Amino acid sequence: MSALSPFVLLFAPWALAGAAALLVRRSPRWVGWSGVAAAALAVAASLQLAAGLLAGRPAAAAMGDTFGADALSAILCVCISLVSLLAAAFGPGLAGPETDAGATRRFRVGLSAFAPTMLLAVTTQNVAIMWVAIEATTIASALVIPLARTKASVEASWKYMLICSVGIALAFTGTVLAYFDFISTAGARQGALTFAVLQQAAPVLHRELMQLAFAFILVGYGTKAGLAPMHTWLPDAYSEAPPPIAAMMSGVLVAVAMYAIARWKAVVDVAATPAFTNALLLGAGLLSVAIGAFSLVVQRHYKRMLAYSSVEHMGLVSLGLALGPAGTFAALLHLVNHAFAKSMAFLAAGRVSRRYATTEIAGVSGLLGAMPWSGGLFAAAVLALIGLPPFGLFVSEFLLVRAAVVSGHFWIAAAVAVFILTTFVSLLRHLNAMLYGPVPEGVETGEPRSWGLVALAGCLAVLLALGLVLPWPVSALLDRSVAVLTP
Amino acid sequence: MNGLFSQLVVLGSSAMLLTALIVLWRRGVPAYITAYRWQSWLLGAVTAIVGAFSGDRELYLVAGALVLLKGMAIPRLLRTMERRFGAQRELRPYVNTETSLLISGLLVVFAYALARPWMAVSRLPTRAGLPIAMALLFVSLFIIVSRKKAVTQIIGFLMLENAIALLAVVGTYGVPLLVEFGVFLDALMGFLVMQIFVYQIHETFDTIDVEQLARLKH
Repeated sequence: MSALSPFVLLFAPWALAGAAALLVRRSPRWVGWSGVAAAALAVAASLQLAAGLLAGRPAAAAMGDTFGADALSAILCVCISLVSLLAAAFGPGLAGPETDAGATRRFRVGLSAFAPTMLLAVTTQNVAIMWVAIEATTIASALVIPLARTKASVEASWKYMLICSVGIALAFTGTVLAYFDFISTAGARQGALTFAVLQQAAPVLHRELMQLAFAFILVGYGTKAGLAPMHTWLPDAYSEAPPPIAAMMSGVLVAVAMYAIARWKAVVDVAATPAFTNALLLGAGLLSVAIGAFSLVVQRHYKRMLAYSSVEHMGLVSLGLALGPAGTFAALLHLVNHAFAKSMAFLAAGRVSRRYATTEIAGVSGLLGAMPWSGGLFAAAVLALIGLPPFGLFVSEFLLVRAAVVSGHFWIAAAVAVFILTTFVSLLRHLNAMLYGPVPEGVETGEPRSWGLVALAGCLAVLLALGLVLPWPVSALLDRSVAVLTP
Repeated sequence: MNGLFSQLVVLGSSAMLLTALIVLWRRGVPAYITAYRWQSWLLGAVTAIVGAFSGDRELYLVAGALVLLKGMAIPRLLRTMERRFGAQRELRPYVNTETSLLISGLLVVFAYALARPWMAVSRLPTRAGLPIAMALLFVSLFIIVSRKKAVTQIIGFLMLENAIALLAVVGTYGVPLLVEFGVFLDALMGFLVMQIFVYQIHETFDTIDVEQLARLKH
């Protein structure tokens, strides 16, 4: 029971918040605050998990092989619960546009299902339970995309649900293939589906089969992560989802999918040589970075612009995972940075689109005049996303390019530099168009300071801290995660 | 005894593949639902046969759940949906019938080529079912990408799930029970959410022809 306690604190509050959202029909404010409280408790639990790991008290596996956390799980737990806290605070009922009671309730129920499924995906040691959890994230998030039932949002959620379900089914095929290999060559054993046992048995596993399994797994979880060419659902879903959900999907859901890929890569690399997984990840990464960068040039909608930027960043993470320990460190740091920068950008964009009532870049001008605080924070988030110092993404992108050069992949370093430059120029151009110029007629100017702005400024502080000092708890946890992933 | 066992498994798996081909060949959604129901019953039968020969009691439970959920509950929900929308026919799929059947033939050949290393690894008497399960997976994927009706795409997806379940049962005698039920729960929830979306598409677009969904571009 004692081993279970951090996990109880991680999941139980969400169950209570979900029950409250389902049962309490009146006072959406109280339901909203219960969601915030649940998220805050989950933040506390994941910080406790991380602190315990740093102090040398690893969270032991609980309930057989179902729960268990190492440094990598702890980092992702912290990111997921912090972003969920932001999403809970910015959701309808507390902030955001006035929606009808039904939509508000659907949002709260969806959020209370979405956050714990992601937490489960990163705290389970069992590859099949991880799959079940990631599939459940699709279901939970798809339900909340069409909050306002417009044609575009219904279309986006259908596309999301179908493409991601099929993709994730392929990931399960890969999981079954790996299990098949395990059963056939290493013999049936208890706990055959946990990472530790798989990794231990990996030297005797059949090379070709594990490679085939990884191909399925990469396509499957890559669909969820938005890696090209499986990214087609992503711009629609992100731009149509309510901003808090878009923040969770783009900030941490993609990170969860990349986490699954990284875990599997660690197993397959022992069974076969890393050359195969590296080649696949480099291919998918370069294609995603290229498609992301060029789609940004022609973007006319700022929410879709943020979505394509996710494709680009996940491409960078995929490249990093293929570049040895230094690259893996850069990739994981990039995931953390991206989680905060992207959620901040989507939440600020939500405020902008509410004021201007449009998502077109051409429809927004004079943002700094109309909304000095939100506009400024939005600009800061976009500047962080293009990798400008002193924000954290500059550090991780720099480390990534350095890892490519050091490991002898000069042409990859060169290509990445060119694509990063392309995104830099096009995002800056779009941002300029939005920030300056006259405020369109009918858009009111000025905004009061509110706690919402404080929350966004908190994200900014995290990004600055990660960029300027890289606090030792973070770097220590990242170092340990790299050790887990690249034995 | 083992000879009879593997022949029964191959027979059941092949019959499952045939039911997928019906979707490429017939045009009415009721025929697809019938095909899916048959396929799910066959999957339940194969699972029960493997359970009987391997002596694994858990597999009877799985077979029972398969028949209840995929053989009875989901086909019934599909029929309700069908009745609500009137006679929906897949009139002009993206790929015509002849080409569809030709492509699925090629997919079966590809599945056999892909499955060669597995046949070498496995010593199970059921291994002859592996390439068939893989073929069913590819054909289901092809159904999803080549058909226009949302209902047909859902049936393709449901058949894809059956293919993976078949792969698990003939390749490994089933994944652990806890996982199996997690997968069931996901399958059911996923299907229910897809069903909600089909109703929403019908309500907002007045059609369930997915070709009409082309508003979101750049």
